[in-house]
Amino acid sequence: MKFAAYVLPVLFVAAILAAAIRRVRVYDSFAAGAAGALPLLKSLFPYIAAVLILSELFEASGLSQAFAKALSPLFTAVGIPTELSSLVLVKPFSGSGSLALVSDVCARYGADSYIARCACVLYASGETVFYVSAIYFSRDRGKNALPVLLALVANFCAAAAGCFFCRLF
Amino acid sequence: MNVIFVFVFVASGVLLIVRDPNAFLPAMLEGSKNALMLGVTLAAVYAVWLGFLKVAEDAGFLRGFSKLLRPPIAKIFRTRDEKAAELISVNLAANFLGMGGAATGAGVTAMRLLGDRKEQYARTMFFVVNCAGVQLLPTTVLSLRIQAGSAAPYDIVLPALFAALTALVIGVLSVRLVCGRKK
Repeated sequence: MKFAAYVLPVLFVAAILAAAIRRVRVYDSFAAGAAGALPLLKSLFPYIAAVLILSELFEASGLSQAFAKALSPLFTAVGIPTELSSLVLVKPFSGSGSLALVSDVCARYGADSYIARCACVLYASGETVFYVSAIYFSRDRGKNALPVLLALVANFCAAAAGCFFCRLF
Repeated sequence: MNVIFVFVFVASGVLLIVRDPNAFLPAMLEGSKNALMLGVTLAAVYAVWLGFLKVAEDAGFLRGFSKLLRPPIAKIFRTRDEKAAELISVNLAANFLGMGGAATGAGVTAMRLLGDRKEQYARTMFFVVNCAGVQLLPTTVLSLRIQAGSAAPYDIVLPALFAALTALVIGVLSVRLVCGRKK
């Protein structure tokens, strides 16, 4: 998919050119937008830090493996290979952590094996729920339990569905 | 989130005290270091995309773009805020094309606007839709597969898309079911 690489640069150049033709003061306008970056980060950072510290503890303590072991009968029941249960658990907490697990699975079982394909599909479908919630719900406290729960349920169904689709294709 | 935080923190903490108390502080520092590095990346990403979005906005592109998408979005998200609907359409399109940076900038701003108007239904729906992560080309995982020597790296594109759509449909339905009646 070579053409994908062209989308972004072409989009940027075209938009900047078209804006200039429409007599937008592009430089001032860009700077005005970019000015919002640091205040945005300042308000997000405490929550990102809290979530990432928590997910690091979760993994380092071995709690995530313990959970994975306890829940593996459930995973087997919905058709998710047990080898992937820790991936399913880490996924909502840490994008980089789950990516590490995916590459580990690819190396161990071969990238084209059923398990590796399932792992890739798991990684590619669904966001890092707690991370997204840290960013999107940073300002309000305590109101995000329901959205997070719904998203987790939906993504878990997607994980099961993904493993099923891997068998079809 | 407060309950989850306390539960996971205490459980992991106790487990670490039993197993390896020396690993406790390093783990936390590792986490906050990750957060700081992520923060630097995010600030850079925001500066690019918020700047670009502002140019696009001043030139009137966003208005034209979201005119197409606004009616269905206003309906699904039940929001009357035009600016928020505009930003949501930018976010969804960017996510679909795999431009995560653009998506986050627009998404955070949309969440703020919806929060100011106390549109909790729209926020829940927007969050769940975002978490489904529907994406045309999962570039990260594709490049990982190519690196791992896969003979058919694109084999996972369709299953991944279908799986994400499953999450989307289940998410939207469950939000409607759980939160839909309040209005």
